[in-house]
Amino acid sequence: MFSYPDSKWAQRLNPVLFLLPALTIYAVFALYPTYSVIEYSFTDWDGIRPERNFVGLENYQRLFTDKIFWEAFRNTFIWSGVIIVINVGLGLVIAAMLARVWKARLLIQTCIVLPVVISPMAVATIWRWMYQPAGVINQVLENIGLGALATPWLGSPDAVLYALALAHSWSTIGLSVIIFLAGLQAVDEDLYEAARVDGANPFQAFRFVTLPALRPVTAVVFILTLTQSFKVFDIVWATTQGGPIRFSEILSTYMYKRGALENQYGYGSAIGVALLVIVSIATILYMQIQNREDR
Amino acid sequence: MGRWLLVFVLGVIAILMVSPLILTVFTSLKPTTELVNPPWYPPFNLTFEHYVRVWTEGGFSRYFFNTLVISVIDALMMILIASLAAYAMVFMEFRGKIVLQVLFLIGLMIPVTAIVLPLFQIVRSFGLLNTHLGVIFADLALAVSIFVFMFSSYFIGVPKALHEAARIDGATEFQIYRRVVMPIATPAVVTTALLEFLWSWNDLLLRLLLMTQDQMRTLSVGLLNFQGTMTRDVTGLSSGTVIMAIPVVILFLFFQRHFVRGMTAGAVK
Repeated sequence: MFSYPDSKWAQRLNPVLFLLPALTIYAVFALYPTYSVIEYSFTDWDGIRPERNFVGLENYQRLFTDKIFWEAFRNTFIWSGVIIVINVGLGLVIAAMLARVWKARLLIQTCIVLPVVISPMAVATIWRWMYQPAGVINQVLENIGLGALATPWLGSPDAVLYALALAHSWSTIGLSVIIFLAGLQAVDEDLYEAARVDGANPFQAFRFVTLPALRPVTAVVFILTLTQSFKVFDIVWATTQGGPIRFSEILSTYMYKRGALENQYGYGSAIGVALLVIVSIATILYMQIQNREDR
Repeated sequence: MGRWLLVFVLGVIAILMVSPLILTVFTSLKPTTELVNPPWYPPFNLTFEHYVRVWTEGGFSRYFFNTLVISVIDALMMILIASLAAYAMVFMEFRGKIVLQVLFLIGLMIPVTAIVLPLFQIVRSFGLLNTHLGVIFADLALAVSIFVFMFSSYFIGVPKALHEAARIDGATEFQIYRRVVMPIATPAVVTTALLEFLWSWNDLLLRLLLMTQDQMRTLSVGLLNFQGTMTRDVTGLSSGTVIMAIPVVILFLFFQRHFVRGMTAGAVK
């Protein structure tokens, strides 16, 4: 056998030393809070007093009868639905077009991906300004003869959720585009050649070659967009804080209001657990699809 | 023919995508007198007075410095702790490895949003509210899983023979980590640094929760407050936005390839 420079003790100790920094921080500031949010959700804690009482499923029962919670729940689904349609649908189309272009491709790609690195807070400020009643969006609409569509976007109960979803999509669609592009590069060029020989036009080639080949990637982008949009807090909080009234209230903003602002820690945590469960399920699906793809 | 149409359509999309940013820059450079012009008019007389005002009176110099300190430490610490942990996971044999793997996997699923309430309590109980350290620990904890997996996937590519050879030559594990394995994993180091810096720079929620004193605020919270108190100050707000965006935009333009690769890999966050 070789004689290892590390003594037997060092060999035992090494894994501990290497893992300790990451594990300690991770356990204390991520795993433990995850456990705590579940624990809090069964109590009536206000986040301040030292004592808290176990109240069983009371918070969850309250969730089921809380009209605002269900409004936030529904809003979160609508919000995610809009973002998925844009990021998956439009993202795929843009990527498919980009893959056929060589000239200026990097420049175009840079422009589309650039908003991804902009802070949601900055995105919120920019779009809040553009959505103002006399803002850019309405001015453009008037200039192109669509003045009838002009509306105070973020103050309108009908428009606010969609307007914010559009702003969020603007800042995230670049990610879908690059994932789709990576998927497109893996599609066999011969398939396109064969389609061309068979007399398929570009749209037919897209429909019968690109789409089927991209099905796994599409699933990945779909679930990714879903989980990401469920987690969103920043952009909504920084623009409308869920308003006007509750028309853009989503789960995260509602949880923040109840938990952090109104000190209903137990109840806020129950909302957090709902969020945790939904996102976890979606993430597990995401990882399974990716695993299957890697194989 | 068809190609040119594609380029044209994509060009329009590209312009639409960057126009919100360009309009913001325009506004930030306009003298107040030019605000009556439509937003798509470029500034005719450039002025940097709004930047100066926001930077000094607005407190953005302090916010900028706070953000920079947190983001840089975040990035450096993340490289260190994630690579060390990944090294142990890939090259060392020990009991309970599978359990650890599952634990780190759980980390990929935890949405920050869902656990902010208890996280606040823990940071408070350590006396780390309104400290850089509290935010840094929270940032590291919530993203470390992703980077452990990222480093692991690089380390797995390192030939086992190389590792064995170094051991026979009398190197300790730490020497192998530093001299053999880390140099090979340079792309992972760069990606980790960029992504963690970016996430840290951009985050609002954790900073909003954990930094209540103006002295400690970061750009995201500073901008949020500025927006709340100076709602009508369009030029100030756009200058603040540009100040917040410019460092990451520059990083992105220089390291686009790394960003693109990293964001596809770390997309779960």
